[in-house]
Amino acid sequence: MITQASPQTEESMDTGKPAPSRTASIGTRSRVSNKALDDRGFSETVGDITVDQPRMQTRDVNVYYGDKQAIKDVSLDIGRNEVVAMIGPSGCGKSTFIRCLNRMNDTIEGCRVTGTITLDKQDIYDPTLDVVQLRARVGMVFQKPNPFPKSIYDNVAYGPRIHGLVSSRMETDEIVQRSLERAGLWSEVKDRLTSSGTGLSGGQQQRLCIARAIAVSPDVILMDEPCSALDPIATARIEELIDELRENYTIAIVTHSMQQAARVSQRTAYFHLGDLVEVGETNQIFTNPRHRLTEDYITGRFG
Amino acid sequence: MTPKSTQNPQQIEEHTVKRFDQELDELNSLVLRMGGLVQDQITRAMDALREEDPEAARQVIARDHVVNFMDVEANERAVNLLALRQPMGRDLRMIMSLGKAVTDLERIGDEAERIARMTIHIYEAAGSQPSHKLLRDTHSMSSLAKKMLRDALDCLARLDVELALEVAKGDAELDSEFQSALRRLATYIMEDSRNVGHAIDVTFIVRSLERIGDHAKNISEYVIFLVKGKDVRHVSPESLDQDFLEQA
Amino acid sequence: MTDGKLITGAELAASGSWHGSPQTQRRLRKRQAAEKRFRAYGLVAILMGVSFVALLFFDIVAKGWTAFMQTHIQLEVTYDPEVLGIADSGDTQALSRANYTGMVKAAMRKTFPNVSGRRAKRALYGTVSSGAGFVLRERMMANPDLLGSTEKLWLPADDDIDMLLKGHIRRDAPESDRRVSDQQIAWVEQLEQSGQIRKQFNTTFFTAGDSREPELAGIRGATTGSFYTLLVTLILSFPLAVAAAIYLEEFAPKNRWTDIIEVNINNLAAVPSIVFGLLGLAVFINFFGLPRSAPLVGGLVLTLMTLPTIIIASRAALKSVPPSIREAALGMGASKTQMITHHVLPLAMPGMLTGTIIGMAQALGETAPLLMIGMVAFIVDVPGGPLEPATVLPVQIFLWADSPERAFVERTSAAIMVLLGFLILMNALAVVLRRRFERRW
Repeated sequence: MITQASPQTEESMDTGKPAPSRTASIGTRSRVSNKALDDRGFSETVGDITVDQPRMQTRDVNVYYGDKQAIKDVSLDIGRNEVVAMIGPSGCGKSTFIRCLNRMNDTIEGCRVTGTITLDKQDIYDPTLDVVQLRARVGMVFQKPNPFPKSIYDNVAYGPRIHGLVSSRMETDEIVQRSLERAGLWSEVKDRLTSSGTGLSGGQQQRLCIARAIAVSPDVILMDEPCSALDPIATARIEELIDELRENYTIAIVTHSMQQAARVSQRTAYFHLGDLVEVGETNQIFTNPRHRLTEDYITGRFG
Repeated sequence: MTPKSTQNPQQIEEHTVKRFDQELDELNSLVLRMGGLVQDQITRAMDALREEDPEAARQVIARDHVVNFMDVEANERAVNLLALRQPMGRDLRMIMSLGKAVTDLERIGDEAERIARMTIHIYEAAGSQPSHKLLRDTHSMSSLAKKMLRDALDCLARLDVELALEVAKGDAELDSEFQSALRRLATYIMEDSRNVGHAIDVTFIVRSLERIGDHAKNISEYVIFLVKGKDVRHVSPESLDQDFLEQA
Repeated sequence: MTDGKLITGAELAASGSWHGSPQTQRRLRKRQAAEKRFRAYGLVAILMGVSFVALLFFDIVAKGWTAFMQTHIQLEVTYDPEVLGIADSGDTQALSRANYTGMVKAAMRKTFPNVSGRRAKRALYGTVSSGAGFVLRERMMANPDLLGSTEKLWLPADDDIDMLLKGHIRRDAPESDRRVSDQQIAWVEQLEQSGQIRKQFNTTFFTAGDSREPELAGIRGATTGSFYTLLVTLILSFPLAVAAAIYLEEFAPKNRWTDIIEVNINNLAAVPSIVFGLLGLAVFINFFGLPRSAPLVGGLVLTLMTLPTIIIASRAALKSVPPSIREAALGMGASKTQMITHHVLPLAMPGMLTGTIIGMAQALGETAPLLMIGMVAFIVDVPGGPLEPATVLPVQIFLWADSPERAFVERTSAAIMVLLGFLILMNALAVVLRRRFERRW
């Protein structure tokens, strides 16, 4: 997997000893390594992985698909009411990482996750925790707009129904309307709630998926390249929506478009070959990244 | 993926889009050429002053439009790069720094023009020629200012942070030279009130030279921003050193 | 391009000057010709297939359509208590046992009064179906008040007379070469003149069970048997197959065991059907002691046979549900069961139903395994339930095809037409279902 590494990285890998900062427990701040600045190889995450008000925290998360390690010792906080963007070249593990956050990786055969991931200090991989409850709290929007082949109304009402949040038609109507309004779709679809969700345009479908996700009032919304299948106007509307949603939700977004990450996020994390290379304020990452790998990626020198 | 550049942090890999590299290079060389031209303008203006040659000074003034033209051209290129390539990180800093350096270079060109005007004013005005004593400070200051500008352009060309730090610090020397020059000019005025006219002209000239030093300092600060990503424009010169730059 | 030999192909390609060169033109023409030939092969194959099918249908219809008509002879029958041997019309036992055949014979004698001699009389009686008595008995049983009255009735003619009228037996052939004597032909011609013989729609074919007499044989018993058999097959195989498919597709871990199961299911679909028949005989009849010839056993055997087909079709249907829908459901916090029942199954159902109908059609046409479990027996009665002895349509066809009577030839074809009709109906239903409920996403 790793084709090159600084001498000290090789050593720590050969001996299997974790680098000092890997032992950092939740609450301590990782320090920036000067060595990382002059080094194309990865030694440890650059930047501050912690935030003052964390909603989700991950520490030393490793994910394996069979024998292949997809992400390595990733530690990152996701703060309240912030948008965290994950960027990186294809296959860098960014999608894998956010799929860990609502245990969507459980559904993949041969996938193994180690390390700790907490949501409001509660370990989400705790065997006593019901994954259904977790996914109600950590919603997800996918790359391809994937409304159910049902009516628009049923699409939005599905989550509240299966989680028992609604008992009457009136309550359901209310939630459906509120969710669609928040997703900025209400005015466009209010006259055809009974028509199929798959009949909408791509951008509308994706906003329907967002409405569906927020209908169960999650704490965190994960978005896996939500705009990659959309045209620029639809993308802009989704981005605007993300910015509005930030008031009430914590959002983690994976994106291939650096401009998009720059536009919508407050913090940005750069992944490379399964390593979390650098985390920082979005402004800083895009104007003055500290790690060479980040720099090369965002300036278009590889990836 | 094995980067040979590990040894030399200054060596930057090429962009995936080669045209982007080319455009950046073009902007860079345009700015450096403009720097060379401006340098030449100062040298010629100061030579005209020393040689008491209003004709040469007129040539300097005439050439200023070339500098202005280059300023416009460089600005346009920078705007195009920002709009079309959406530069990030180092590239963004590079374009911003070059764009600002161009403005400073254009101002330096204006200062050279002002010196040339003063030269004409001094030598073509009715009345006596100024004493050489009065002009002595301009020579020492001009060599200092020219060195600063040369160094600033050097560090811009080579992205040399060490040299940039030196230039930034060198400005203090020029400032003190300027202060003492002003004091000396004041004493000349007190000595002989007939000197007032010339002293005012010379004051303008040293003022321009001091300004050139300031602009050179600005350019060197842009280089530091470009390489290190740190804005050092409003940092006191004492705390400005390598250690400061390495801090997170 | 005069010194073309000196330039290599690669150089030529690199220079770009090969576009439009004569060689290129030639190659282009060759390629276009090859393309046309390739398309022609396919067209020929399709045409041959279509013509075979057309030939088959034409043959069957041409042979079979006459079976839907049956020759009837009009007789004036008298419900004479003496002939019948009934004293009291209220006695049901006596009514059912009465000598209706004698009544038919009496009517025949009345129509042709000048026939004498044992041999001639037997030939005369032979022109009317031996089953004519049953028609009279049914009428009598339904309405005992008929006793003593006289009425004109259309009674089925014997199959040989039927064949004669339909032209399958030629009148100008030498007498020794045909099954109808000159005398009989004369009677038929006499009846034709008086309008007392005609062909009418053959309701018997659809309402009666099997019979040794072609004019009395029908497919009702076989279709009922097929119905019960398929009912058992459907009730057993659909839930089993869907459950198996869901487990294999959604829950089963991917390991060596599930691989083995998968391979075996696929192999099972390719096992010759007669093997299932042997299995059914050994297990259901000999071991469990279920009744022989019963649709229940047939259904069980056909279930074994169709299960793999339906499982494979159902798995394909499940697989075709896009993963994005599953992810969406799971991402909403649906449990796996909710994901399957709310989203995957409704989307896969048209495919599953199609697979099931195709499997059922296959089961409907199956003969070999049913031979093994005794459904080939000659059964006259229409079965009243899945435990009564029965036969099925294809077996009926098989039995009739074996019968020597000329009239069974057309009945075989007619039964094939009915079977094909059912098969086409089922396949059409599958197509309609798929069209109607298939959803795009």
